[in-house]
Amino acid sequence: MAFSPKFLQRVSRSLNSINNCRLLSSSTDSRVLLQHSEAASRPCSSFVHNNNNHCHVFSRDFCSRTSSFDQLNSQGPAAIDYSASLQEDEFHKLADATIQDLLEKIEEYGDSVDIDGFDIDYGNQVLTVKFGSLGTYVLNKQTPNRQIWMSSPVSGPSRFDWDRTAEAWIYRRTKAKLLETLENEIEQLCGEPIKLS
Amino acid sequence: MLRHATKRILGLESPVATRILPRFYHERVVDHYNNPRNVGAFDKNDSTVGTGLVGAPACGDVMKLQIKVDEETGKITDACFKTFGCGSAIASSSVATEWVKGKHTEEVLTIKNTEIAKHLSLPPVKLHCSMLAEDAIKAAVKDYEAKRGKSVASTTAKS
Repeated sequence: MAFSPKFLQRVSRSLNSINNCRLLSSSTDSRVLLQHSEAASRPCSSFVHNNNNHCHVFSRDFCSRTSSFDQLNSQGPAAIDYSASLQEDEFHKLADATIQDLLEKIEEYGDSVDIDGFDIDYGNQVLTVKFGSLGTYVLNKQTPNRQIWMSSPVSGPSRFDWDRTAEAWIYRRTKAKLLETLENEIEQLCGEPIKLS
Repeated sequence: MLRHATKRILGLESPVATRILPRFYHERVVDHYNNPRNVGAFDKNDSTVGTGLVGAPACGDVMKLQIKVDEETGKITDACFKTFGCGSAIASSSVATEWVKGKHTEEVLTIKNTEIAKHLSLPPVKLHCSMLAEDAIKAAVKDYEAKRGKSVASTTAKS
């Protein structure tokens, strides 16, 4: 998709011709709608990302092209072509195995260590671990980027890429490894050590 | 019609719905959604404008944040944004444009995603949106500095 200059130019042109417009989306499904108060000469475009029964009117420019993806990322802090590094099925195998492993080990940890309000849940490929009032971890796959995303009550959000040489999930900005980070943080949070690697 | 639908989703209309919903947007996020600040665009070819474009549409979040910088003082005089994404992403980038105004380009690089997340009381799953907003600020400043670098180089080459 001509996501950066052309696409946004096109969008901004249609937006400028609209009096009252708003970029907004519903909470969970990242649905984007352009609303206008009066019937504009241009059609109202609806962009829907994920599988949804009400999914319709998909702009034909809205499909990924690696070249514009690079362009997009080259303007951001990390200029990496994610899809080339790891094939999708390989990614799914690695990421699923990692998350499944974490699920089992953390569940076992929760059973052995007495943490008030401990809860672990794996639904819709999202792993949520609640350490009661100490905080909540959310781990999920981000397939387009071939990353595992983590939200930590200790270190905030981080995104891990698979490093073939190290055979580990690494957060490029800090060079931190996913499993080690979790081990350190969970020990820091709950007082008891945990073995994840 | 849209407002009605979203009010239903947010549970703002019926008190019964609000009780049933286990999680809902913090009022600050809703405020940025209902009263968006600084939505718009500057001319990206303007030498005083820095444009930061971050995110990936496939992931569901794209933010474009632009800053207008006073060349003499290096202070950001104006900012605007356009975001495709969830309410938290929109609110995060909206807050970012509010916070950068009036500050020096170096100072805004110290704005942390944790501050944005705390301000909006973002739940764990939405912390990534605040990180993206921080990245957008950094990308905008980087773009402005790069443009300035190029124009300085071209003027020295001419003289």
